[in-house]
Amino acid sequence: MDYYLQQLVIGLSLGMVYALVAIGFTLIFGVLNVVNFAHGEVYTIGAYAGLFVVAAWAPPLAALLLAVLAVGALTGVGLERLAFRPFRRFTDEASLKSRAMREATLMSSLALSIIAREAIELIYGSQFQTVPLKLLLNEPIRLGPVTIVNGDVIIFVTALAMLLALQFVLTRTRVGLSIRAVSNNALGARYVGVDVDRTIAWTFVVGSAMGAVAGILVGLYYGAIFPSMGFNPGVKAFVAMVMGGLSSIPGAVICALIIGVAEALSTIFVASVWQELVAYAFLIVTLIFFPRGIFGGARERV
Amino acid sequence: MHTRRSLVILAGALALAAPAFAQQPTYRIGYQLPLTGNTAQYGQDFKNAAEIALERFGKAGKPFKVEIVFEDSRSDAKEGVAIARKFVDDKTIVGVLGDFTSGVSMAAAQVYKDAGMPQLSQTASHPDFVKISKWQFRNITTQAQEGPLNADWMWSQGYRKVAVIAEQSDWGQTVVSYFVDAFKAKGGQVTVSEMFNRGLADFRPIITKIARERPDAIYTGFFYEDGAQFLKQMKQLGATIPVHSTSAAYNQQLIALAGADADGMKLTATFLPNNPAANVQEFVSAWKARTNQEPGQFPAQAYDAVNIMLAALERAHPNVTRESLRDQLAATKEFPGVTGATTFDANREPAKQLMRAQVKGGVFAPIAN
Repeated sequence: MDYYLQQLVIGLSLGMVYALVAIGFTLIFGVLNVVNFAHGEVYTIGAYAGLFVVAAWAPPLAALLLAVLAVGALTGVGLERLAFRPFRRFTDEASLKSRAMREATLMSSLALSIIAREAIELIYGSQFQTVPLKLLLNEPIRLGPVTIVNGDVIIFVTALAMLLALQFVLTRTRVGLSIRAVSNNALGARYVGVDVDRTIAWTFVVGSAMGAVAGILVGLYYGAIFPSMGFNPGVKAFVAMVMGGLSSIPGAVICALIIGVAEALSTIFVASVWQELVAYAFLIVTLIFFPRGIFGGARERV
Repeated sequence: MHTRRSLVILAGALALAAPAFAQQPTYRIGYQLPLTGNTAQYGQDFKNAAEIALERFGKAGKPFKVEIVFEDSRSDAKEGVAIARKFVDDKTIVGVLGDFTSGVSMAAAQVYKDAGMPQLSQTASHPDFVKISKWQFRNITTQAQEGPLNADWMWSQGYRKVAVIAEQSDWGQTVVSYFVDAFKAKGGQVTVSEMFNRGLADFRPIITKIARERPDAIYTGFFYEDGAQFLKQMKQLGATIPVHSTSAAYNQQLIALAGADADGMKLTATFLPNNPAANVQEFVSAWKARTNQEPGQFPAQAYDAVNIMLAALERAHPNVTRESLRDQLAATKEFPGVTGATTFDANREPAKQLMRAQVKGGVFAPIAN
């Protein structure tokens, strides 16, 4: 029994890691409805920036997170300028309604993410960076028969704070209203006086800052900071977002937890090489049987 | 006046010497290795090792020069094959070193087999690699040698129930099969045998699964990065099962990444940088001067592989062809390398001596048992 309980707890902690990444990802990709495949690299940049700050000033964790938050915000601005804004330079109705224009950012964000990843690799090499051991968030905490680490608690609290803050902003404030307006109908939003460019830029700032914080937290949690570290969590976040119905952040968080638990529990029954397939299986099942996400999201398209 | 005359004489002498100098032949060797991508750190190490070996060779005043052409395979079999074709088409290239992984080396080997190009890999340890043709050589012990030796070692410590975990790759498969066969032949029991994908972030589900069966020890087939993750997470979960590993895990970075959590792990190795032998210390100091780090086993194997190639070139000189270089490689006997004396047997397999080591207080220390 203890064994299953321990696997369940490990699964929840895995799921929290995915959820942490999924929140910022869903805000940009799902809620704002902008195709962005560079979130994994923002996450990686957050981790490397954090490592750089640690090496230079060795600040306490809270200050470190603030610094990474700032780097993530700047990265978000740069990303939006380079890969997204150029595709919005035509404001006529045909361009604004064009799917091709909207989905062109799939390639531009992917291109930017490849450039960022290769640049990090050229500068730092592709090996794991050595993280000062005392900074690692892996102090064990024994709770009866199961073991968690202090990182689990920190990641849980951070993810919860991000989730609640975003839910509040999106549903209770004018900024949230304009984000949802732009997502729903960019042309209509422009006609009623919403500053579309500004709204999109701010959403990138917030989403990317969250992505960068996720990167450094997970980097310190596992002690594994390397150029392609963003790929795997990026895939899991994507699947969680699709499962959760694209535009729902709580939905993505719950689905991230489901994926994590399913991965951990799958090792009980099958060889662990199959663990990676769990997320893809969920993705296929969702696309075939729940095209609106398993909670029945608002939008038709998944 | 006097100076001017000597200058004239000097110039004349140089003019005469120049053609002789130009006649000194240059032999070209291809080296395919991952210089970018997820395994770039290994390829960069090989490149450094090759350059150290080449520099040393250049200073030795040999009657010919050697140039190494490095090509980046990204540890991708398709790239590896493309590079192999390029090397084969270049008539000035007489021999090839690399690739890093068994998978890519074996894919490229098919090209070298058809074209008749000697290929010496510093790390391809899959049993089938040298079986491809008479053109394939390697400078690494295989799991056929390491597995049974580790089975003996673990058995002699009284371990009877062992869990096995290895990465999902050609190499990882051989880690499991050679060890398990040898261990079972002794009457031992293998409780769990798990494979994982290289770069797995979270080993905790597997560790929990292994610990449930309460094995006496765990035998592992991983490289240092996965190894560090595994050892850290073992400690995290409070699992105190002894861990044994192969020479692939031998890298100072393992200790840098895992810290005290790596303490106690035992493994077999062919190279230890604290070996006092003169050639080992020469290599270690050249490596430190270049990278500010201690060399692990793989750079050492690459260094030896390059030197074995250079020695074979020297024996084949002045009639260097792909054919003659192959024959001279095959004739390598007791080559005094930093990973021990190397002799290729009839199957182009190197016989090497394996040492036993244990992580103790931040270093890999040689141990008797």
